[in-house]
Amino acid sequence: MAGSALRRLMAEYKQLTLNPPEGIIAGPINEENFFEWEALITGPEGTCFEGGVFPAKLVFPPDYPLSPPKMQFTCEMFHPNIYSDGRVCISILHAPGDDPMGYESSAERWSPVQSVEKILLSVVSMLAEPNDESGANVDAAKMWRENRIEFNKIAEKIVRRTLGIPT
Amino acid sequence: MPVVPLERLPLPSLRVYSFVSVVALSACTYYAAQIIKEPNWNYPGDFDKNDDNFENRNGTDSDGRTVSQFVSDIFTVMTREPVCVWTMINMAFCWFILLGRAVQKLVFGDLRVSEQQQLRDKFWNFVFYKFIFVFGIINVQYIDEVLLWCSWFSLLGFLHLLSQLSKDRFEYLSFSPRTPFWSHVKLMALLAAIFALSGFMFVVSIFVGFFGGLNTFFFMFYEVLLLAIRTLHVIIRYAFHLYDVRNETTPPTATDDNRTLDKRGPVSYYVELTFDLTALIIDLIHHLHMLLWSNIFLSMASLVICMQLRFLFHEIQRKYKKHRNYLWVRNHLEQNYPMATKAELQENSDNCAICWENMDAARKLPCGHLFHNTCLLSWLEQDTSCPTCRMTLNIQNPSVANMEPPELQTDPQENTRRPFNHFFHFDGSRYVSWLPSFSVEVSHVQAIRQNHMATNSQLDAMARQVQTLFPHIPLSTIIEDLRVTRSVELTVENVLDGRLIAPPMFRDLDIDWTPDRNTFTLNSEPEPSARNWDEYNTENVETEDTAALGSRFSKSSTEREKILHKRKEHMIKQARKRYIEKQKAAAVVAKSELQS
Repeated sequence: MAGSALRRLMAEYKQLTLNPPEGIIAGPINEENFFEWEALITGPEGTCFEGGVFPAKLVFPPDYPLSPPKMQFTCEMFHPNIYSDGRVCISILHAPGDDPMGYESSAERWSPVQSVEKILLSVVSMLAEPNDESGANVDAAKMWRENRIEFNKIAEKIVRRTLGIPT
Repeated sequence: MPVVPLERLPLPSLRVYSFVSVVALSACTYYAAQIIKEPNWNYPGDFDKNDDNFENRNGTDSDGRTVSQFVSDIFTVMTREPVCVWTMINMAFCWFILLGRAVQKLVFGDLRVSEQQQLRDKFWNFVFYKFIFVFGIINVQYIDEVLLWCSWFSLLGFLHLLSQLSKDRFEYLSFSPRTPFWSHVKLMALLAAIFALSGFMFVVSIFVGFFGGLNTFFFMFYEVLLLAIRTLHVIIRYAFHLYDVRNETTPPTATDDNRTLDKRGPVSYYVELTFDLTALIIDLIHHLHMLLWSNIFLSMASLVICMQLRFLFHEIQRKYKKHRNYLWVRNHLEQNYPMATKAELQENSDNCAICWENMDAARKLPCGHLFHNTCLLSWLEQDTSCPTCRMTLNIQNPSVANMEPPELQTDPQENTRRPFNHFFHFDGSRYVSWLPSFSVEVSHVQAIRQNHMATNSQLDAMARQVQTLFPHIPLSTIIEDLRVTRSVELTVENVLDGRLIAPPMFRDLDIDWTPDRNTFTLNSEPEPSARNWDEYNTENVETEDTAALGSRFSKSSTEREKILHKRKEHMIKQARKRYIEKQKAAAVVAKSELQS
């Protein structure tokens, strides 16, 4: 079980190292445990998260790629689709069977042809365009809809914190 | 060091304990030696032997005995004196603990936190069930019997725990691509030793059963069998894993790869299934036997056994359903989707999209997508659509699907966890003020569970409580600590006293939080005067070595780690530089606007 998952993760790691997508770095935190990765994601340009580098942790199940990994930002985040503890709510990370919100079509959900790279790219586009319907963080969703200026200010603060620049 | 409630109890450390045991034993030996020096001492037990020895002893002096005689005399005295017997038993236990420690040091090194937790849970669970067995079911009357059962169960429990620990460690090792060869050898040797010892225990159970009757034999036999099966299971899984890993390190030639994949799928599936089912069924029979053998239908013990029976029964049922689904999907696959032809394979030179490995033989779905047979099978077991294009395949197994469709599709991790934690809480003070309150958590840790991040809901709730106070500490760290402290207050204290800190990986990137000032300060940069961007000298980021970093995937894992770390640092530096430059530019624009 774990053997084939390990091989696949190794292949993905290799690919992400050799051809990294723009603004994304990902790899195992410690190679003693190949099933826990850290990813750094650069905030997409032209959005309120521009310039920030957001660290996130990915935890893979032993039967990966049959089941999706879990992803959690380890820095402070304020975003409609990210829970306040950093967990990411995005359809690609949901197993086909479970549908916590009850509206996603199974086409958007996890399948073994997905990969770490695809997940991280979807997260980047999620940062750029929050999905209003799934309110993982209700406060953030409300602010995003009603008070964009305040939202941008908070995002700016978070960006600075991730860069180690005082607010 | 985190605070451990158990250690706050006045439990002596192992060193003190073994020292005290040794002292007590030597005191007893001395006492025995004094007794046999007395001239009128004789063997109280063996009278026939006594007659001829008596003359001898009177003739010579007590000092005239040979050493071996002396030792055997002392031993005889000690087995007659209750106090001495207890010290000897104590000493045996002490040896046992020391032996366990030695094995742990030799094979496992330091235990990880989750392993310790797992071990502690298992240990108390075992003690709890065996207590019920000895006093509730066998209902022993004499202290000798209790002692015999105790020693039997200590040996058994010891082996069970070791085998459990080896399993955990194996699962952890299988997460890593760079485990040293020696740790595999050590672990395998330990597993083989456990297996051999279970054979010895089997002989013991036959021997005891010869005197104690068939029931006793069976009670002992089930346990030994369970131990042997579980150990063998781990050994076989381990062998499969090693075979797999070896295959990975040697560059897979086309034929080689194909052979392992096709063989491994069904074989390992059936091995897994057989072992799981056998273990469950033996356990079920064991419990049924216990329930029926003694008339204990209306007692606490029967309640516990019934609960266990129910759990086992559900497990077996679940396994059976899963297997039926597997068979159904496999048949459907074989009948409806043909293997891809050579031409099709050549035309589609991609790797299998599921495992990313080379395809020499593949099955073709109606939508035209190709996958390895085993990969496809394991996916279709949980979802019935093409992984690539999501085309729905009509493989709904009517019988299984109607019964419980969500059961089969939910995340297997969740699935195995949910029903297995029983939490009993007894609040005595609600009834009578002096009654104690206690809670017992019985957790059944499943074979497939490797996710040490997994927590039960109680811990999770507590962790969230802590995290609202300290958002900068990752949840996993808090949970690890809570496992030890089991109290929100203690964990909060640990954080405030600086005993619990965010792991360095996060600290480098994150903000340092000082609780007393309640403010966020940075840990990397000296505090600059706010908003004066010119004071920041944008760090000189060496661009030349990053070019080298980007396009290499090293063979050595330490080098890979180093490169990854450098790339991360570089990325943050670059981002910071860009950000500051942008702010500078914005400030300049603002200034010029102000001037004009």
